[in-house]
Amino acid sequence: MCSKKWVLLCLFLAAVPAAAKVFVTVDEALKLAFPGCEVARRTAFLTPEQVKRARELAGAEVPSALVTYYVATRGGQPAGTAYFDTHRVRTLPETLMIVVDPQNRVGRIEVISFREPEDYLPRGAWYEQFRGKALDPDLQLKRGIRPVTGATLTARATTDAVRRVLALHQVLAGAAKP
Amino acid sequence: MAFSFRRGWAALLPFLLALLLAPAVFAQSTSTEERVRDLERQVEQLKAEIAAMKSGGASAETDRVNELERRLEVLAAEIEKLKIGEAAAAADQSTNGLGPAASKVYRTERGLSIGGYGEVIYQQVDGKVKTGEGEEEEGQGGKHFDLRRAVVYFGYKWSDRILFNSEVEYEHAGKEVSVEFGYLDFLWRPQLNFRAGLLLMPVGFLNELHEPTVFLGANRPDVEQRILPTTWAEGGFGLFGAAGPFTYRSYIVNGLNAAGFTDDGLRGGRQGGSEAKAEDLAWVGRLDYTGLPGLLAGGSVYTGKAAQGLETAAGRKLGVGITIAEGHLEWRWRGLEFRALGAQAELRDVAALNAALDLEGDQSIGEKLTGYYLQLGYDLLAGRGAGNALIPYARWESLNTQDAVPAGFSANPDTDIETLTLGIAYKPIEQLVLKADYQNVDNKAGTGADRFNMLLGYVF
Repeated sequence: MCSKKWVLLCLFLAAVPAAAKVFVTVDEALKLAFPGCEVARRTAFLTPEQVKRARELAGAEVPSALVTYYVATRGGQPAGTAYFDTHRVRTLPETLMIVVDPQNRVGRIEVISFREPEDYLPRGAWYEQFRGKALDPDLQLKRGIRPVTGATLTARATTDAVRRVLALHQVLAGAAKP
Repeated sequence: MAFSFRRGWAALLPFLLALLLAPAVFAQSTSTEERVRDLERQVEQLKAEIAAMKSGGASAETDRVNELERRLEVLAAEIEKLKIGEAAAAADQSTNGLGPAASKVYRTERGLSIGGYGEVIYQQVDGKVKTGEGEEEEGQGGKHFDLRRAVVYFGYKWSDRILFNSEVEYEHAGKEVSVEFGYLDFLWRPQLNFRAGLLLMPVGFLNELHEPTVFLGANRPDVEQRILPTTWAEGGFGLFGAAGPFTYRSYIVNGLNAAGFTDDGLRGGRQGGSEAKAEDLAWVGRLDYTGLPGLLAGGSVYTGKAAQGLETAAGRKLGVGITIAEGHLEWRWRGLEFRALGAQAELRDVAALNAALDLEGDQSIGEKLTGYYLQLGYDLLAGRGAGNALIPYARWESLNTQDAVPAGFSANPDTDIETLTLGIAYKPIEQLVLKADYQNVDNKAGTGADRFNMLLGYVF
């Protein structure tokens, strides 16, 4: 009888949410990516030619000519650039923070929000594949990026987002160093 | 020139006001995406007008132009917030010093989500065939067309922590309708969450992930139909979560119903939450390792009793203990995808169960059921970034649903089966698949019926 009560109590405690589910906010994500850095928010208004160029480089859709990004510096030296990319996964959107390092390679990816069921969210180790990748033909699903069973659409959406961000970064670097 | 600029500025004021008010107005009638597009158009227009003013040499109005530029930046920031959604809003809160835990639930996007999948199959069967999914086809050799499944997924999210998830399945063009699963999730933290309702048993590859685009083969492997009886859902509750590279599920559920077991396997014992008997309960648990990209390795165990009140002729209540264990491994590297799965079920009280169900001779339910399969596929279009795939595949499968039977009974040789499947899958996009395969089916009785299958599957 006593053990039954304990089981019921444990289940009750498991069911009662004791803390909010952790969403990484934009501020938190930037602090995580650039500890001790100065971070400046910038806005770029792409020309139609730049949008076209970014689309060609990415091999993915570039839905907006308005690009906001965050440039981090440490002691006056560039520490990286963060982009927030929101895109549809299946029927619902996710937002990723994709950090491009000063060598124009992927530095870090953080999932900011994910509205699909979390069953479709790849585990952390999967995102580590992108670290150090540059915008080249190997940055493709089933090539340099391994897919995830049951989360193929998320894997593809993420790969497209990374390619899009690297392409935008390249285009912006060509116009004026971000 | 100055006069004309002031006129231009005056003309811009209503425009700016409209721009600033736009979000409030549009909130009533348009979606976020439409609002973002409209704001972006207006920002572009505003930027062009400022550039025109600058080029017009209106030096006396520099402050006003600067003010316009500042406002334009504010608008750009507003657009960013709309795009990113609640994470951006939460960032504002944190900078304002409000407790995110207290206010988060009120800012969370909520509501209904809809998805689904379906399968249409054409099958050509040589003579008699027994397949788990096509039990109704037994004795029906020939050619068949079937809208095998049309499934609609409904989910509702009340908050970030409480959500409902379900699938409603129409089988054989509506001949059968069932709720495939329907549960509530109470999300606490990644390591520990609570789930209750009609739950998918976390066994094998396919029971939880059975959308046609996720697996190779027009038919599911027989091992994942007769030993692991996909799609298998039972009522219950339990815990799930992830810690480091491991994910787990642990549920208490109503047990299988042994009255539905046959010499062909356990498929008929599923209760599916339809006035299910819960005299006997079971525990099911699963552990997976996903520490390396492309690797999935794990296993699951289901154990409990399945008599659900069955009695012998003498009035003795049966137990029918059952344990199903399986191990699985998947490796994906570039275009390659490899899967291996082995499963075994052990039952107790089988002689008495046979007697209670009037089963004799070689009709006995297996005391031990064993099966495994190995599957290899390679995407010939891998890495081209186009989102399409062309995957030739092969699967070798061995299944014996009467690997051991009680003394006094014999095994029917047609339950010891080996199947070779050779086929090809084409996905024009990730959400659509066309599969065609040939299955060479051999059994110890020499009555295996080969099959040719073509399947069109979709998810949305």
